[in-house]
Amino acid sequence: MTHETFGGAYVPEMLWKTLQDLIAAFENAKKDKVFQAEFADLLKNFSGRPTPLIFAERATKRLGGAKVYLKNEGANHTGAHKITHCLGQGLLAKRLGKKMIIAETGAGQHGVATATVAAKLGLECIVFMGSEDIRRQRPNVFLMERLGAKVVPVEYGSKTLKDAVNEALKFWMENLDKAHYCIGSVLGPKPYPEMNRYFQSIIGREIRSELQEREAKLPNAVIACVGGGSNAIGSFHDFIKDDVRLIGVEAGGVGKKVGQHASRKIAGRVGIFQGYKSLFLQTDDGQISPTHSISAGLDYPGLGPELADLYQEARLELTYALDKEAVAAVDFFAKSEGVISALESAHALAEVRKVAPKMPKDSIIVATISGRGDKDLFNFARAFKDKSFRDFLKDEYERY
Amino acid sequence: MKGTKTKTLEEIFHPSTTLRVKSGKPLFMAHMIAGYPTIPESVQVAKALVKGGADIIEVQIPFSDPMADGPTIAVACEEALKKGATVAKALVVIKKVATFGKPVVVMTYMNPVYRMGIPKFIEAISKAGATGLIVPDCPFDTQDGWSLLATCKAAGIALIPVVSPGVPKERLKTLAKDATGFWYCTTRQGITGATSVFASALPGFIKTMRSISELPVAVGFGVKSRKDVKDLSKVADIVIGGSVFVATLKRSKKVLIVEKTMRSLIG
Ligand SMILES: Cc1ncc(COP(=O)(O)O)c(C=O)c1O
Repeated sequence: MTHETFGGAYVPEMLWKTLQDLIAAFENAKKDKVFQAEFADLLKNFSGRPTPLIFAERATKRLGGAKVYLKNEGANHTGAHKITHCLGQGLLAKRLGKKMIIAETGAGQHGVATATVAAKLGLECIVFMGSEDIRRQRPNVFLMERLGAKVVPVEYGSKTLKDAVNEALKFWMENLDKAHYCIGSVLGPKPYPEMNRYFQSIIGREIRSELQEREAKLPNAVIACVGGGSNAIGSFHDFIKDDVRLIGVEAGGVGKKVGQHASRKIAGRVGIFQGYKSLFLQTDDGQISPTHSISAGLDYPGLGPELADLYQEARLELTYALDKEAVAAVDFFAKSEGVISALESAHALAEVRKVAPKMPKDSIIVATISGRGDKDLFNFARAFKDKSFRDFLKDEYERY
Repeated sequence: MKGTKTKTLEEIFHPSTTLRVKSGKPLFMAHMIAGYPTIPESVQVAKALVKGGADIIEVQIPFSDPMADGPTIAVACEEALKKGATVAKALVVIKKVATFGKPVVVMTYMNPVYRMGIPKFIEAISKAGATGLIVPDCPFDTQDGWSLLATCKAAGIALIPVVSPGVPKERLKTLAKDATGFWYCTTRQGITGATSVFASALPGFIKTMRSISELPVAVGFGVKSRKDVKDLSKVADIVIGGSVFVATLKRSKKVLIVEKTMRSLIG
């Protein structure tokens, strides 16, 4: 691969001014003490940061190698890391005088986080969601609606996350004056990848200080799941210059064929899509390929451009976990640590189970649990073929 | 239209384009999708549009995720791809359409261009007989935008910028330095198709454009009726219609019907 400049702002001219305004607001906010104080206050007193760093003692024993720590982003309000960049963007939207925030969502986590922030900050909210994802993540749709957001199903394309991004972009172009588009990962045109990373990099800073307190050293490896890459780059960024392995885990799905996975490591090629240049799953003809993952949040064809940079420089290791490995990892950490992770995060946990045994006992792995598993209740029940849950649903249906 | 400034298509495009038009009447650029309803039928669609009076044919090469297109065109592109449309097949369509005696402008999104390789893509559309190119998601001042621009210039292909009311004057000035062919000005902010409500700022915006650039101004998005065309004729050098033809094709199995649609628009 020749050296590529990933990122950029590959969008229609009508977005130019809006993006310039956003860049200016973001640059200002970085230097503005008032913004920083408001953001810090919301993270602490609304979202509940800092999130705990759990020493996974029993899992460490069972795996027999590196000491395993879990950075539990699932302890955030709304159950995942997504709320962090939503709070940041929500504050920026207000500064830009926007009355509405719109978002795309896959798993529904980013949608719930956006709807929550909109309610908290008094903004109108519309969330675009592929109809296939609505089917997979109905409880989150219900929550978004309770929070006052309007959820708009996207009925074309693969009816998943990438189509929700398309639809949100389209709605945005028609409503530039009133709406801020709260992109849910480190992707899209400049400044989104940098901006969301800026907000999310608190994960890595907390990991550093929490581990310093407990172990007085750096981790040997940080592991995170990668959809677009916001929890991953958030976890990694503070360690880029250190001697720490950074391991991103993508969705290996059910196989290596087109449409069976969402791994850019397996089949990603350089492309330009949804405003940025990066690695994408695509055909020889440049059409975006269908993807699959048991976890809606990883079911996306593009890799955040800053992660693509790190991957290109061989600073980031990419790997993948299969659907069934993710499900097994949820079970393993539920039983050994009392933590039920989201299916997305379980991809990182599956990798922990593979690498920890191979690492020396005095080494340390930190794996980010990007979200808790409540939203996946129905998916877990099905994956574990839980008959009593099925009966419960039937009963519940009768009672309705 | 500013009658005095009207250019011939020869002036707008590469000198190899032979068609001349009378000044004083706006041109009409009719949009179609290569591969919709099918590959052979899309060639017939182009022929019908020419018969109906179109001056320029805009051929869209379908992309899986057309960011600037509304549901009418987006769904049609999806159907074309499902039926097997590829860039290679679209190039064959372009080649045939280019023999109908009207300039052909290719429209697509950046990823298929990038995937094929910018030089190879430009060479291919140039060989197929296209005179212009529209890539709405590739501004000139991006890494690959520069490269696209340079390659188009060398090949004599006009790289047509898409702008909308609301684009600031300073930005237009920057774009004007490199713009060739004509401006593609959308009637409002947003996507193709949808409503025929044109931005109230449109006439003023076009005035600003004319104060900056001598290039002709083509105006489109949501053009559905003769009245729309008439209204836009007051400010535009070229009026563009797209979704209106795709919608016609969706309603009727007979592709030649777009000739009638075309005629009804320009009267
Ligand atoms: C819990 C959870 N983890 C991870 C992701 C993937 O996103 P990212 O790669 O941006 O962290 C999502 C996205 O919806 C999510 O909900």
